Amino acid sequence: MPPSSPKLYDNKKTTIWFSITAIVLFVSLVAMVLQDSAREWKEWQVKFMELSREKAEADLREAEHKIDSAALEKIKADREKAEEDLKSHRRQIGELTKESEALAVEQAKVNARNQELKQEQDSDRYYYEEFRHKKEEHEAEARRKRMETRQAELDGLRRKLDQLETAAAAKKEAVNALSGKVTELDKEMARMTEAAGRIETKVEKLTPDWRSAVLNAPMLDFIKPTLQIQQIVVEGLRDDYYFTKVPKVDRCVTCHLGIDQTAFTDAPVPFKAHPRLDLFLSPDSPHPMEKFGCTSCHGGSGHSVSFTTAAHTPRNEEQAEEWQKKHHWHEMEYWNAKMLPMNYIEASCAKCHQGTVDVPQAPKLNEGRRLAGTFSCFGCHKIKGFESYWETGPGLLHVQSKLQQDWIVRWLQNPKAFRPSTKMPRLFHLSNTSDPDSADKNNALIAGIAHYLIKNSEPVSLENVPGKGDPETGKKLVETLGCLGCHSAGDKQANDHGPELLNLGSKVKPEWLYSWLKNPKAYHAGTRMPDLRLSNEEAAHITSYLLQQKDEKFDSLRLPAVKPEVIDQTAMHFLTVTMREEQALEALKTMNEDDRLEYIGKKAIIHQGCFGCHAIKGFDGAAKIGTELSEHGSKDVEKLDFGFVPIERTRQAWFFQKLKDPRGFDHGKVKSYFEKLRMPQFDFTDEQAEALTTFLLSMEKGTVPLEMQKRLDLKEKNIEAGRFLARQFNCQGCHTLDGETGRVRSVITEPGDYPPAIDGEGKKVQPQWLYHFLEHPSVIRPWLTYRMPTFGFSEERLTALVQYFSDLAGETPDYKREAVTPESPAHQAAGPELFKSFQCIKCHKSDPEPGLASSFLAPDLVMSKSRLQPEWVADWLKDPQALQSGTMMPAFFPDGQSPMPNVLGGDAAQQIEAIRDYLWAFDKAEAANAMEKPEAK
Amino acid sequence: MIEAFKGAVDAFSSPVTIFTAAALFLTLFVSFPKFFVSKPATLGMVILSGIFFFIGLTDKHFKSIVTKPDNVPIVAMLFIFGYFTWFSLKKAVTNDALVAAGKPTVEKAEAEQKVMVFPYLIYIEFVVALAYSIGLVLWSIFLKAPLEQPANPTISPNPSKAPWYFLGLQEMLVYFDPWIAGVLLPTFIIVGLCCIPYIDRDTKMSGFYSYKGRRRAIIPFLFGFWLLWILLIVVGTFLRGPNWNFFGPFEVWDVHKVVPLVNVNLSEFIYIKWLGTGLPKLWLIRELPGIAIIGAYFLIPPAILAVTALKSVYEKLGAVRYSILMILALTMLALPIKMYLRWAFNLKYLVAIPEFFFNI
Repeated sequence: MPPSSPKLYDNKKTTIWFSITAIVLFVSLVAMVLQDSAREWKEWQVKFMELSREKAEADLREAEHKIDSAALEKIKADREKAEEDLKSHRRQIGELTKESEALAVEQAKVNARNQELKQEQDSDRYYYEEFRHKKEEHEAEARRKRMETRQAELDGLRRKLDQLETAAAAKKEAVNALSGKVTELDKEMARMTEAAGRIETKVEKLTPDWRSAVLNAPMLDFIKPTLQIQQIVVEGLRDDYYFTKVPKVDRCVTCHLGIDQTAFTDAPVPFKAHPRLDLFLSPDSPHPMEKFGCTSCHGGSGHSVSFTTAAHTPRNEEQAEEWQKKHHWHEMEYWNAKMLPMNYIEASCAKCHQGTVDVPQAPKLNEGRRLAGTFSCFGCHKIKGFESYWETGPGLLHVQSKLQQDWIVRWLQNPKAFRPSTKMPRLFHLSNTSDPDSADKNNALIAGIAHYLIKNSEPVSLENVPGKGDPETGKKLVETLGCLGCHSAGDKQANDHGPELLNLGSKVKPEWLYSWLKNPKAYHAGTRMPDLRLSNEEAAHITSYLLQQKDEKFDSLRLPAVKPEVIDQTAMHFLTVTMREEQALEALKTMNEDDRLEYIGKKAIIHQGCFGCHAIKGFDGAAKIGTELSEHGSKDVEKLDFGFVPIERTRQAWFFQKLKDPRGFDHGKVKSYFEKLRMPQFDFTDEQAEALTTFLLSMEKGTVPLEMQKRLDLKEKNIEAGRFLARQFNCQGCHTLDGETGRVRSVITEPGDYPPAIDGEGKKVQPQWLYHFLEHPSVIRPWLTYRMPTFGFSEERLTALVQYFSDLAGETPDYKREAVTPESPAHQAAGPELFKSFQCIKCHKSDPEPGLASSFLAPDLVMSKSRLQPEWVADWLKDPQALQSGTMMPAFFPDGQSPMPNVLGGDAAQQIEAIRDYLWAFDKAEAANAMEKPEAK
Repeated sequence: MIEAFKGAVDAFSSPVTIFTAAALFLTLFVSFPKFFVSKPATLGMVILSGIFFFIGLTDKHFKSIVTKPDNVPIVAMLFIFGYFTWFSLKKAVTNDALVAAGKPTVEKAEAEQKVMVFPYLIYIEFVVALAYSIGLVLWSIFLKAPLEQPANPTISPNPSKAPWYFLGLQEMLVYFDPWIAGVLLPTFIIVGLCCIPYIDRDTKMSGFYSYKGRRRAIIPFLFGFWLLWILLIVVGTFLRGPNWNFFGPFEVWDVHKVVPLVNVNLSEFIYIKWLGTGLPKLWLIRELPGIAIIGAYFLIPPAILAVTALKSVYEKLGAVRYSILMILALTMLALPIKMYLRWAFNLKYLVAIPEFFFNI
């Protein structure tokens, strides 16, 4: 029935709508497919192919340029000529070829027959064995006979084949004899153009054509596309998706295509090669790409192939904005392991490199760790790896013998006002405690702390300074005895291991300083300050020099007034923590003024955690006041309070800000005095804060399984234990050791006055000697003014140090030394002779006369037999520069040749042995004897 | 100017004002249907909502929330449902006029004509199917599926929101315990919808769009659907921010916003504030007032109504169906009542028995 209302039921109209919708649907489906196949990474891969093609084309031009065109032309001409010659033999060659072909046909036939018979032979053998086993003798016999006849035929075929092969070879040779020249020239030409040809094929491969277009077309790209996601599967490492752990797959190389190729060193990002291919990615580097992947160090989401979801992290705000414009980048809020910005990348090293003092090639991380130690971050925060670190601040158990209470008050107001280089941070009068009310509280607490410290310390007996020292002599002694190996004084700034020696006249009493210099451990048993074995006079001179300098301005600082009501208020605050107000008031009433001051002092020490760095009576084993930092590098950003500080919402930005301005996150907040942030102000420079941030970022939750981490063997552990001690007692403050130059060298003008370089000491000296020397140092180089101090090492530390030097030199400490005796009487005679000829005694004097430049002085050789290792002496004589570059010791045997052909047949090795053997017999008498002889000459 | 407008909107926005304003608008809408389907009113509503969105989209924050792929369907839903409500009411008004004039309704007139299923139905259906496919494909091209990063249990999204169609239920959780908001009320919604044909068996004025004769059915439906379902979804989507705090449409979602939570149970009102005796130890005595109020709420009004205003209904439906209708209707009404009690008195629970996790 036709419709009565054409308005609703018009078929024609429906058809028009049908065509329109059909077309639009088709177009939108095409758009969908195109959009789906358009991927960021494909664009990058196309760009990379273009770039590589350009590079390959440049290489091709270069390769073509390299081809000797004249030679090539000549070969071409030769070839043409040879071809010409060949023409006359064409008929002959044709015949030979025909014969060869006939032979080949025959050969094929024989071969086929041979194969056939072999198969049957094998089959018969099987049946023969079977039948024989089943004892069916009759059948077995039949098979055997057949095999026999067939074998005869097979042998015949074999012979025939041999003949045919020989004939074919002969024909081939004949053809070659005629056309060999052309073939040879062809080969020659191919060899010359081989390199260029290879590059040409590469260029062809990189040039897009219709084939690659079809293979990469949407919907067809499942077959064998040339654009493909590239990935590295890292065995053993897993990515944490919170509810499951999946094997680490890094697809970064999908876009960073040139990352492991030196050819792309100057290419633009993302194709640029890694800047340290010697250390990373290359197969022969310590961190090959296949084993380590990318995200294990850089962080980020390795599975992702888009710019944003790979969790790239911008270097700064500008870069973030640029990325937002260019790549529609936004932060991956929920992905915990975001990529580390490049300036903090070294934090990743600690994922695998644990338990060492330093991580090789990671200067920023090492600096951060060192700062965390010297500034004693671990004093307030528990940090994994710092459990056995030394006490950083001076011990205050006997502080009343050292300091005045007023000085402590002035110092606590602002330590840097007294000594700008101090490591003591400022605790009071900081940005969040500078309002008048807080300032009153600060002053009360400072007064309390000073009072508590003086009252709760025990006096030590001090010696009186014998006579008046001479400041000038004292200055000279400070600069030449070894104080500068740890301390800075005046303009001589080489070390900051100990406090700078500044304005001590305003700080300590002469008796204290004198006694301290004479025996530091008597004042504080845990001090790192060693004993320089000063005589009474020396100590007196140094005392008078150091106390000469005073800071008048500091001394005249007015002591801040402390309001008694503020003390009461503060005391009440602390009391009401554990008591009701009434009880607290009662308790307060029972305290006199002194008690109250002492009470708030004690509480202030707990509040600020002073005992984290200083030994204070009554605070043994007190709990650290700060939050644990062992896994701070993985701390959720959400859990960090950014307050009203306008910085990026990232861990690194927070750490950096916190280190630069520890109280900054309090700004704009309403808090009572004791609720406020307590971290003190260290005044870190930007570089220091960045290094420390790197260190904090490195304190991550362990994600790398133990077996994949760098594990130390026993030897490495010994070395690290030694390095720790060397850091603790600042060996490199004076000595050049373990790749570090002795720091004090920078303030010594005469190289001969440098404290000795002790690289390779483990090879050089005998372990038992080293042990005793470290325990009780003795003079080896009398011309040196620098003294090796007595550190008072425990037996454990002495053993560890000896082991350290041995392991560092690749030696095993051997305490059982065989005596060194000359091989023959000839050797025994040669020793003194050579000794005399080389004039050893000229520099190696037993008691050097004054006036000789210290560069030309050398240790007394009488010590050799008890001090040196015989093998080392031989090596040393062979080539001193190889063991210690820059030494003044002459090379007597250049290139293993002896200048004395008459002794021991001129054999250098034997001569060296003879000298060495003589040294083991060398004693005081011999030395005196030898001293006279050259003079007589 | 625009800032002032945005500020005013934010200042005006609170759950109570929005709910009350919507209720007032609904009252006007059902009171003057003829006006609301007239051309000037229609145009006015379209223009006003257009202006609101136009101004709104200049706001970065508003834009980011409204244009989020998850939320686009909800914006669309507002317009689509608005249109259909308006459309049905317009038809109903026309039919009411026809009925009043004694003429056949539009549907009746249309039903006189007959055409073949093919091509007149199937062909058109096919074309419409194509058009829908185009819509879906274009949607997939321009609005990316809101797939997010791998879930991180240590940083849960804040606000954590249910799928948009459950946001009404999630909003109810603000006022009720999960067992009511998440179990009882959804069950009642489904059961209630199933019950409709058994309760409303009136064939008069059915089979075509009409309003006048069916106001008693249409008004509760619009109340339940628009105010208790759509409006709660809108509030849950656009106005609930981090920590489920309430934010104005142009207010930036600050994670650290702190809002006092000082809600008090009914028992505390009675025993501490009014009687001053302290809470009784036995939970039954302590919660007796609340239990009594709820009992009274479900027993007394139906009984009174059965002999007064709804006498005719009671007689028509019989005791059983009347009781079911009343339970459903009172339960539905309980939601806004509880919401107003919360806003007016900070009432937390009428009955709070933490001893066995039972709170109303």
